[in-house]
Amino acid sequence: MIEVKNVTKKFGRKNVLKGVSFTAEKGEITCLIGINGVGKTTIMKAIMALTPIDGGEILIDGEKIRKESYEKITFIPDTITMPPSMKIKDAFLFMADFYGGWNQLRANELLQFFRLNENDRISELSKGNTAKVNLLLGLSLDVDYILMDEPFSGIDIFSREQIAEVFTSHLIEDRGVIITTHEINDIEHLIDKAVLIDNGVVLREFNTEEVREQEGKSVIDVMREVYKG
Amino acid sequence: MNRFLKLVHFEFQRFLKLYLVLMGVIILLQFVGVILESQNYLSRVNEHIYKDLMPKEQFIEQFGTYSFLQIAHSFWFMGPIVLSIAALMIYVFFIWYRDWLGKNTFIYRLFMLPTSRLNVYFAKAVVILLFIFGLLAVQLLLIPIENRVLQWMVPNEYFNMLSINEITNIDYLSILYPPTFMEFILYYGGGMIAVFIAFTAILFERSFRLKGIIYGILYTGLSSVIFIAPILINQLLLEDYFFPLEIFFMEVVMGLIVLAGTIWTAHYLLKNKIRV
Repeated sequence: MIEVKNVTKKFGRKNVLKGVSFTAEKGEITCLIGINGVGKTTIMKAIMALTPIDGGEILIDGEKIRKESYEKITFIPDTITMPPSMKIKDAFLFMADFYGGWNQLRANELLQFFRLNENDRISELSKGNTAKVNLLLGLSLDVDYILMDEPFSGIDIFSREQIAEVFTSHLIEDRGVIITTHEINDIEHLIDKAVLIDNGVVLREFNTEEVREQEGKSVIDVMREVYKG
Repeated sequence: MNRFLKLVHFEFQRFLKLYLVLMGVIILLQFVGVILESQNYLSRVNEHIYKDLMPKEQFIEQFGTYSFLQIAHSFWFMGPIVLSIAALMIYVFFIWYRDWLGKNTFIYRLFMLPTSRLNVYFAKAVVILLFIFGLLAVQLLLIPIENRVLQWMVPNEYFNMLSINEITNIDYLSILYPPTFMEFILYYGGGMIAVFIAFTAILFERSFRLKGIIYGILYTGLSSVIFIAPILINQLLLEDYFFPLEIFFMEVVMGLIVLAGTIWTAHYLLKNKIRV
């Protein structure tokens, strides 16, 4: 379980996070929802210790993040994190060199699934294909938790469908996923838990299935209530 | 350790192409220099001796014989050395900023590797030091070859053959190739500490951005003052009370203190303050 407890953060004088708390379970897809600039990406970076927080605490399976944690949790930012001069296969080699949990079989499988060519240079890929490689590099690590920042933004409809397909496949299976989005439509049916964020606070955290069954509301219905009502 | 060496290898590969180009430029310019400069001298010989019919002895008395000293003081020889130093000084900064700049923010990946972030810091430092020593080694190999070419170019009666030892003792070259072990420790130890301080200053900027530039400058100033404190105190307050050897050992100790402080600060920033 990933526990985000009362996390605060300032950028200059601006409070970006004003006491954010939520949890994300293993085996579930947790979605952080909010418009651009409410701090979703900052939360993910904070979980990965890529940006300092001013207050609160973040625990991964009850522990603070350590260097060994990066074999257990990974982050797929919204841009690819490999030098553009690398070919896809160079990126594979790099990952295999540094991560004990690199799963080359899964990487090959995803390569086929996304119809990518490992001899292509990252700098020469289309936007959609770059996003796919980025996703591929994260998903091919045998980790318990995956954080994905806006995996659907700026990608054509067919690529979106392909990526959405990944979520329902064995590639995600019983891992814990935290995903951010500002357009819920593509993945509403995929997510187990929604965390609605605005202005640096969590407005509501709920189990999508429960709300659907007990209140008969979709995620979008709840969003309307929370953001507009 | 294994991952550390892989990081060193990786960082080395990333600069290798440019580095080899730099080396090529050095070799080319210096050889061109040896040929042009010696031709210049020979044309003077021709002019005075064969046209003005000046006796050889008088010419040598007036203009001197030719040796590597003139080459070492020429633009063609010093230019590439200055260029290398400038290139490596720029790379001290670029080796970090290249990972933050552009769309492909590779620093995310580097900081999410299951290894200490200090390894990234050390790997970058080791690569800089390797590049420095690599260039020094190449220059040291070039000198005897250039000296030999010079010997071919200039007739014996006008040529004064210098030994490698004499050449590396030519003013500024004795800093690049220190004649004593103590000076080696002082110059290269100092240089290495300077690289680490620059790295830590960069991390200050990367952690606190605009404010970090000020922190970085203050940090660099403080480290420098601590480092040269023994010399300052000896000169300004004690009027040369200590022997040079005593000063040397105090400098070594101060250097180690500053180095430890720099590495500890870098570790703290990388762990707690860095922003991607």
